[in-house]
Amino acid sequence: MEVTLFIHAADDAFRILENAKTQAVGLLDTATRLTSETRWMEEKKLQTILKGAHEARSGVQGFVITFVMLMVFWALLSGKFDAFHLSLGVICSLIVAYLSHDLLFANVRVGDGRVIARRFLAYVPWLLREIITSNFYVAYLALSPKMPIDPQIMKFRTKLESDISWVMLANSITLTPGTVTIDIADREFMVHALDRKIAASLDTGEMEDRVAHIFMEADHIYIQDVLDVSRIFAELKRGM
Amino acid sequence: MIGKSDDIIIKTIARIFVPFLQLYALYVIMHGHYSPGGGFQGGVILGASMALLLITHGYDELKRRLPEGALIFLGSLGVLIYAGIGLICLLLGGNYLDYSQLSVILGVDAPHARSLGILGVELGVGFTVMAIMYSIFFDISTGGILPEDQRREDRAEGER
Amino acid sequence: MNIFFVAVGMGLCALVFLVLYRAIFGPGVFNRIAAISAVGTKTLIILLIIGYVYNRVEMFIDISMVYALLNFIGCIAAAKYLEMER
Repeated sequence: MEVTLFIHAADDAFRILENAKTQAVGLLDTATRLTSETRWMEEKKLQTILKGAHEARSGVQGFVITFVMLMVFWALLSGKFDAFHLSLGVICSLIVAYLSHDLLFANVRVGDGRVIARRFLAYVPWLLREIITSNFYVAYLALSPKMPIDPQIMKFRTKLESDISWVMLANSITLTPGTVTIDIADREFMVHALDRKIAASLDTGEMEDRVAHIFMEADHIYIQDVLDVSRIFAELKRGM
Repeated sequence: MIGKSDDIIIKTIARIFVPFLQLYALYVIMHGHYSPGGGFQGGVILGASMALLLITHGYDELKRRLPEGALIFLGSLGVLIYAGIGLICLLLGGNYLDYSQLSVILGVDAPHARSLGILGVELGVGFTVMAIMYSIFFDISTGGILPEDQRREDRAEGER
Repeated sequence: MNIFFVAVGMGLCALVFLVLYRAIFGPGVFNRIAAISAVGTKTLIILLIIGYVYNRVEMFIDISMVYALLNFIGCIAAAKYLEMER
């Protein structure tokens, strides 16, 4: 009879141990799930802060700048400045700016507009000078009796980052006589040049450096970005 | 279905051009009495700007800005404005589309009322022409099949 | 001064007829598209010259700008159509 009692006691002990084991495994599972959820929530909070700040500032700023540019364009087109036509201009500019302001300023860093505009205005006379000098050389090539042209296509990889700077570089290359941009395929430019000398002058990369200087890309540090990041970092540190 | 163009120069330049194109079209509509232009011409330029967006950015981008319902609504709205102004002139006691009767509502003398009435009907014409031009372009380029139906057909063919 | 502009306009008209040869007989569709684009740019200048000769330039500038825009859009639409055809 002591043996049956002993067997019953051992049975109970084993059952208690099984329960304890399942409970311990359940606790471990809940603990892992809770830590991963907290990490996911932290990431989501960070994402909303970054996206919200950028969208709020760039949305309104883009709308206002688009409206001003469209008003200036309207005033240029219609030479009449009486109240009726100006009010028509304001209404039309408001409608068009509301419908397409996210088209014009799609990916611009907030706060950089004035510097970019000033540098762009300083770039245009240099481009005009380049066009005039290349014009003389291409005219000499085309008008000489045996026409010593040597057409070649060159490919080069660019260090510029945003699509507006690519388009500005492609436009400048095409505007300069002697070179034509054929294609841009993910950061690789294909350019057709008339002569080896023209191709060499494009190869030095001076135009690319100047375009990068306009848009402040390619080894520049933006003070505005550091200021933005420091504010978000303080917010996060407070939340932790 | 019109996919977006993978040439980045055209995409960027079209994106920068379109607001100025649309403002130029509205300028042509509003100054119809003073320089060549008017409702129909402005409407064609507006439709062309929408067609430019369709070619370069694809149908998905344009569905956000100009869905099919809005297109039909704009087309009918233009006709409503035109006929409505004529009807208002009739109700105020003149002939159909006799704009001088509008001076009662607007509070200006008869020549100014005629000028504003013509501006109103030109606006209506502009809306309708834009909707119809864009709709014609879209129907001819996709063969009249909406992209949702096209996708469903493609998926059915893939399964088969 | 008018005579100079009229002479330039007539020279441009002759050039347009030269380019029209390519538009009619060009083997293939690419030649025709390029020819119509070239005709478009010359038409622009001829319109402005007409405006100057009749002393109302400001009216003809509107028309020229519209024609330039439509020429551009037509070129891109034709290119897209040809790309899709393949």
